[in-house]
Amino acid sequence: MIGAQAKACFTWLCAVVLGCGPAVGAEAFITDQSGDEVSVLDLGLKHVVARIPVSGKPAGIAMADGRTAYVTSTEGKHVSVIDTASRKIVAQIAIPDTPLGIAADPAGGFIYVAGFYQPRLYKIDLKAGAIVASIEVGASPSGVALTPDGTLIVTADRDDDQISIIDAKTFTRKGTVKVGAHPFGVTVDPRGERAYAANVESNTISVVDLKAETLLGSVATGKRPYAVALAKGRGFSTDQYGGTVSVFDLATLKPVKRISVGDYPEGIETSADGNSVYVVNWFSNEVWAIDAETLAVTAKMPVGDGPRAFGTFLRETL
Amino acid sequence: MAGRIEKSLLIVIAFAALALPQAGWAHGPSRQKITETIEIDAPPAKVWAAIVDFHDMSWLPGVAKTTGEGGNEPDVATRQLTLDGGATIDESLYKYDAGAMSYSYRIDKVDVKVLPVNNYSSTITVLPAEGGKSTVEWRGAFYRGYPNNDPPPELNDDAAIKAVTALYRKGLDNLKKKFEASK
Repeated sequence: MIGAQAKACFTWLCAVVLGCGPAVGAEAFITDQSGDEVSVLDLGLKHVVARIPVSGKPAGIAMADGRTAYVTSTEGKHVSVIDTASRKIVAQIAIPDTPLGIAADPAGGFIYVAGFYQPRLYKIDLKAGAIVASIEVGASPSGVALTPDGTLIVTADRDDDQISIIDAKTFTRKGTVKVGAHPFGVTVDPRGERAYAANVESNTISVVDLKAETLLGSVATGKRPYAVALAKGRGFSTDQYGGTVSVFDLATLKPVKRISVGDYPEGIETSADGNSVYVVNWFSNEVWAIDAETLAVTAKMPVGDGPRAFGTFLRETL
Repeated sequence: MAGRIEKSLLIVIAFAALALPQAGWAHGPSRQKITETIEIDAPPAKVWAAIVDFHDMSWLPGVAKTTGEGGNEPDVATRQLTLDGGATIDESLYKYDAGAMSYSYRIDKVDVKVLPVNNYSSTITVLPAEGGKSTVEWRGAFYRGYPNNDPPPELNDDAAIKAVTALYRKGLDNLKKKFEASK
């Protein structure tokens, strides 16, 4: 905790007093599916500082402690392990199906990858660099998320209109909860209590109580919501057909605002300090920043071709 | 004549028996996108007037008939294109902005033998260009025709991109011809 405070303090000192903002802060690792690369976007400098070639149409990404990024390639059927500091691929793990959704265990031991067609969730031991277990989930599992304590894994089983809740320790499915039509992205709140699933076909976000395994409610969004971020007591969904980010109140589940963004937004994540929401626009090849408080668009940053960044893609560099 | 147009518009493929795993919204792993544009020597308002009606696709060669209902109202309007060879494409409007001279629609139903795509959506926009001219931009986002791993060549990503690109070129080139032929 002290570390975090010291870091925040230093960030403030650096950004406000010393004016060295870009040197500290954050990077976004953006999977450019059409471009077969990962763009490393410096969020302080607001431009791409490195491009890492990744074969096989990279799409999904998970970032646990920021030192390593795990990227799924849908056509290549592999997960690339990228050392974020050196921008190098240090390992590649074959998946026996098309991998898309991926999540990293916060303790650093495992990653979980959804195989889109079989459909199974694969548990990969990072030390062994290999799949050590797999379990059946619902049809077309898309998004994968973990509770911050790493005890529960959630998959959005798109074609079964449900989420699966999996005990990470025993690696068994505890239950399923029906949500809206075709959930794609799923996000767990920082307390590990709720899951938010973006229902592409019903244009809603479903809110699930993970402990009770019940649907708490839903909220309307713009057209074709793909993924959800949470910041300052609000939810933010990327609405692909709408070209919008829908903002809603997490307590009341009432819509707050709809923000026009780029074309076909998909990946979305909140910065570590909770102040910004980053939106990845697949068609227009840009990452946009939204101020989580004022809901104003604060930056538009070009990246490579066909960016998806489906999952967690932000890291702090200090 | 009609047959020739149809062949150039449609992708005519000799099909092996394909075991498609799922109907509905299933799609391949990697979505494709294309943008095609054309500059037309006519004011934007005039060009927009030629495509303004969602239920009039007469400007796209190979379309024999357009039927439908719901006017230009997003989430209400639907249309069915009947092609020269008799095949049909069902589409629905999801965005319409007369001010921006732009509308967006998706394909609800099409045989992959007609257009080898899945989960297709599209936006057409008229933009002002220099000298009072117009630029028409037609964009599409779609998955390939074969929704599972390891597609046959006629239903892979390249086939989808090629088919949609050819379709857009045909429509845009014809629009240009409509306005500039008389000059």
